[in-house]
Amino acid sequence: MKMTKIYEGSHQWIMFGRDEDKPSNIIDTNQYVVRTPNRCLLLDPGGAELFAPMMAAVLHHAPVDQITDLFASHQDPDVISSLGLWDQALTNAKLHAPAIWEGFLRHYSCESIEYMPIPDNGGTIKLESVELQIIPAHYLHSSGNFHVYDPQAKILMSGDVGAAIEGPDAPLFVDNFSAHVEKMRYWHQRWMPSNQAKRVWIERVRNLDIDILAPQHGRMFKGDDVKRFLDWFDALQVGIAV
Amino acid sequence: MTNQTKSQFIAVASITSELSAVMVVAKEISLAAANAKAIAFRAGDKAKGFQPITDFINELAKETIELVTNINIYALVLYRLTVDEFQRTAAYNKFELAAKMAEGATYAKSMQEPVDHAKQSMQDCQRQFKRDVSQLLGQLEAVMHHARAARVIAANSRIEASQAGEYLQSLQAVAESVDKAAHTIHDNVQRCRIALSVYRNS
Repeated sequence: MKMTKIYEGSHQWIMFGRDEDKPSNIIDTNQYVVRTPNRCLLLDPGGAELFAPMMAAVLHHAPVDQITDLFASHQDPDVISSLGLWDQALTNAKLHAPAIWEGFLRHYSCESIEYMPIPDNGGTIKLESVELQIIPAHYLHSSGNFHVYDPQAKILMSGDVGAAIEGPDAPLFVDNFSAHVEKMRYWHQRWMPSNQAKRVWIERVRNLDIDILAPQHGRMFKGDDVKRFLDWFDALQVGIAV
Repeated sequence: MTNQTKSQFIAVASITSELSAVMVVAKEISLAAANAKAIAFRAGDKAKGFQPITDFINELAKETIELVTNINIYALVLYRLTVDEFQRTAAYNKFELAAKMAEGATYAKSMQEPVDHAKQSMQDCQRQFKRDVSQLLGQLEAVMHHARAARVIAANSRIEASQAGEYLQSLQAVAESVDKAAHTIHDNVQRCRIALSVYRNS
């Protein structure tokens, strides 16, 4: 599991992914960690298959008892099917996840972790002095879906938006936007069901000051590529399977 | 999932399946008792000895149904415990793997507590499962006892039926059905016991 620090300030953002030992038949995922002096938030901590390498990687940055918060952008197994394992490993943690998915996510087992239901209009996650904004992204692609924005680090963790399927040796950042477009087109057209939801999200996100757009799969976008992505996505027709 | 875990799931699931067959048979005995009572009533003095036997049969059927109902509830508890044990074992294995992969990490040692806790939790589950299996075997033995009693009653019924004149055939049929049902209960419960006995607390 590769670990890359993508922000260092009063707190840190670390990206985990490109796991070479991952079984080849499961989708590659990016996990993100926000680390403050005494706490640690795992964003979309991943599937059950990924638990051991992910936990081992996090232990380079935080002890187990400081992993206090998990965030699940939506209910998919590649996002959070490891919940039952985190639930047994962590004694004092909270899961921030969409309210509408609570009864579903509890199927993964969530007994010791406290479920913090996120209402449809979003909210915040306070991690010591850091306040993260939970941005609604419903129907992108899940009916109850959120992204996380850090106004200090200017990072938007964008879940499946901006995702692309790539091999374990793919670079971490988009380096040639035009070439990258074809890696994203089908993903967004097929997985994202609603043009209206897409427009509402783009309008909302254009108001944020973003240095890095960090999806759950594939490469991250930084600098001008963030705007390029939003423009490209704006023009794209989605929901093509009907 | 290991072969042992698979066998454990199958053993626990088979109890419910075997016992639902026992339940059907016990209900059949209850019906046979009601039928026998009606025949004995019609036969009057000719089946005088048969009348109290019908009450025994009915009582035995009711007790068997009650026992099986309780065992089914217990079997469900055992199934949940099996799921629990499976999850805890999986967690322990993943935690051990994580601890191994984290060797050299700054906070690797902090994984020891979750590993120890998961191990303890898994072993508690295994012990509880063995204790519950022993208790369940005891309850199954009680059902076996009822099945044996039913066979004795069936034998007595045959003797009494032989003195019931024109009602002989009807009452013998009742005795046969009780005997057959007792055999079925015995065989099904015995299969449950065999399936579970490997997990008994030694």
